[in-house]
Amino acid sequence: MNGFAVALEPANLLWCFVGVFLGTVVGILPGLGPPATIAMLLPLTFNMNPAGAIIMLAGIYYGAKYGGSTTSILMNVPGESASVVTCIDGYQMAKKGRAGAALGIAAIASFVAGTVGVLGLMLVAPPIAKMALSFSSPEYFALMSLGLALVVLLAGRSIVKALLAALLGLWIASVGTDLFSSTSRFTFGRMELLSGIDFVVVAIGVFALAEVLANMEAREETQLLPMPKGLKNLLPTLQDLKDCRFAFVNGSVVGFLVGALPGGGSTIASFLSYGLEKAVSPRREQFGTGVIEGVAAPEGANNSETGGALVPLLTLGIPGSGTTAILLAALVLWGFKPGPLFIPEHPALFWGLVASMYIGNVMLLILNLPLVPLFAQVLRMPVYVLYPLILGVSMVGVYSVSASMFDLALLMVFGLLGYLMRKLDYPSAPLILGLALGAGMERALRQSLMMSEGSLSILGSRPISAVMLSFAVLVLLIPVFGKLNKWRLKALEQE
Amino acid sequence: MKLRPSLVTLAALLAASAACAQGFKPTRTVELVVHTGPGGGSDVLARAIAIMVEKEKLLPVRMQVVNRAGGNSAVAAAFLAEKRGDPNTLGLFTGVWLQTPLVSTEAKVTLRDLTPIARLVLEPAVIAVKADAPYKTLAEFIEAAKKNPGQLKQSGGSNTSRDNVVRQLLQKSTGTRWAYISFPGGGERIAALLGGHVNIMVIEPEEAGEHIRAGNMRVLAQVSEKRLAKFPDVPTLKEAGFDVPVVPQVRGVVAPPGIPKENVAFWEDFFRRLARTPSWQKYIEDNQFEDGYQNAADLAKFYDEFTDRMREILKDAGVKTVR
Repeated sequence: MNGFAVALEPANLLWCFVGVFLGTVVGILPGLGPPATIAMLLPLTFNMNPAGAIIMLAGIYYGAKYGGSTTSILMNVPGESASVVTCIDGYQMAKKGRAGAALGIAAIASFVAGTVGVLGLMLVAPPIAKMALSFSSPEYFALMSLGLALVVLLAGRSIVKALLAALLGLWIASVGTDLFSSTSRFTFGRMELLSGIDFVVVAIGVFALAEVLANMEAREETQLLPMPKGLKNLLPTLQDLKDCRFAFVNGSVVGFLVGALPGGGSTIASFLSYGLEKAVSPRREQFGTGVIEGVAAPEGANNSETGGALVPLLTLGIPGSGTTAILLAALVLWGFKPGPLFIPEHPALFWGLVASMYIGNVMLLILNLPLVPLFAQVLRMPVYVLYPLILGVSMVGVYSVSASMFDLALLMVFGLLGYLMRKLDYPSAPLILGLALGAGMERALRQSLMMSEGSLSILGSRPISAVMLSFAVLVLLIPVFGKLNKWRLKALEQE
Repeated sequence: MKLRPSLVTLAALLAASAACAQGFKPTRTVELVVHTGPGGGSDVLARAIAIMVEKEKLLPVRMQVVNRAGGNSAVAAAFLAEKRGDPNTLGLFTGVWLQTPLVSTEAKVTLRDLTPIARLVLEPAVIAVKADAPYKTLAEFIEAAKKNPGQLKQSGGSNTSRDNVVRQLLQKSTGTRWAYISFPGGGERIAALLGGHVNIMVIEPEEAGEHIRAGNMRVLAQVSEKRLAKFPDVPTLKEAGFDVPVVPQVRGVVAPPGIPKENVAFWEDFFRRLARTPSWQKYIEDNQFEDGYQNAADLAKFYDEFTDRMREILKDAGVKTVR
């Protein structure tokens, strides 16, 4: 197609490379994200031809998703909110000496899912956009309830502790200004809390800082994170690739579909994909200890989500996420009017962009895979260098988001909270999940009730939300079934 | 005569102060503070302004956009208040900056605490429904709302946003009632309308433009004093028979407190010149804004009128005001 003709022009190839390279760097740095980077580069784009400009900016968008996994796996520091789920199993793999395998599978899963996402954008964008319109607040509430129900699967030993952690996350999400009535909630009179507590601050505090604090009190000689030995651990093995077969599919599909929803996002996409993978995996009890599918699924999901998020942007002119909002602004500033008629009226731009995304994903795979052993060298650093580095990177990352000392103080508070949770054996993933979903869930529920004049039946009378809610209930009941089954077997044994 | 020497001195003093005013020039990159993140409404306008400044060479230095999102403009306003006396920092305010201090105790900085410079634009809006909706005029919608009180739904921003203000004013003047559902992002509001989950919305004319062209949306009325050039066949609220005040979405410029008068005069003059450049005129036309330029003194008056009116409207809407 002539899309490739546009994308393969030498200038556009160069812009593609610049974009994906910058994106990878931005993804690695915690705090600085694609929206801010794209905003900074906007003035430079005015003298460029629009095709090259959008190719570069899109490259930053999906390139950042590749880079985000690096700090998650090596240092338990989520590069951005979409990479939080990768920390769960990725960091555990690094602790077991398989950092290289984790980084490698993240790159491969990102490539597969990213390509599937572009395929989806190319082939099914208009019907998916239409389907996405039928999603509204009741369906979003049901989707997020399903995501929250998956907390049960993140529970580890104690379901009660997991639920408590999730509730704490939901409470933290409620801090701020209520959208509907403009009342302040839990702001303690502080202006900085008016727009709530930033997800990145909590995630970095509870994961990275808590890890550092917990390790600092170790009595024995501080051990290095094991350096991956042998090619087996520097890159994923064939066995690893086989184990991840379903994860590749899972990540691609879930990410793309959730991304296409105007209210969806990469955080919920990665959580849902992780939860689904855990639910169907034969070794689900091992999730959380360093299972490779637990890295492949969310990493894939947050990449195909970029393809999905471009669907409402390019077919309807509706931005679905923070980065697509700035991309929309860029298109508007260049003189385009994104809307339902954008693709028919600017086919060269659209198909050029799509073709460039294929090329960009290939470039990213080539960039990232060979760098895996290089990144794994980070683990050679002794802990007395690595941990201050983690602290420094975390703090700079948080400060770069909002330039606020208050956020740094919050980071400390959540670091301490995360440390306490570890000592008391509370799992931290449910807290992060509750925080990620809390605001959206509450909003969706209240919007649904406004739509139905206060009647909860709206959740059950709409087919999509009814189905998802039933799944959520089923998921919540899994442990009950498990216990009933054990009890039954025990009773049988005693006879 | 005895008066002449003092007249001469007076003239000399005036000339000197005029020279001083012309003597002020920004000495470093000018920062334009906005309260949204990258890609938000104010951010886009601020970046457009920065580009125009560069193109038309209006300043000897660069202008740069600084994002201070948070607290519905409270963080940006507080940031400006901290920069007391700094002549190289400006803020791009919108209606939110005026409203948030009315409803949040934490938002301590009002526009009166800062130095008003100029009002730039007024943004009209249109009232839109899905193309296959049964209402051809706003009157038909109001009729339907009368028959089914509280059943019809409107999507919009927060409950202090202009969308809700229009709704409150219309409800009060027609004695009807329909539900209002807040969506934080413009995209979600449009999606709710196009997906048939709400019946009506207030939307910026540029945003609606493409959907109207594609045949997905229809416009019932315009929230504007006179008809917009791109909507010649759509009645204004008044023409449609609804005698409600047109509450504009306003955007303008403020400076930190404690700025000497000559700086204020410089910036006032600067924005007046900006408002006359062809790039600005084109931008206003393309985005269907109304040129609402007001100088600093008029802006201060406008602010008082606007907040008084807002207080009343919010009280009617059942929202607690704290200032």
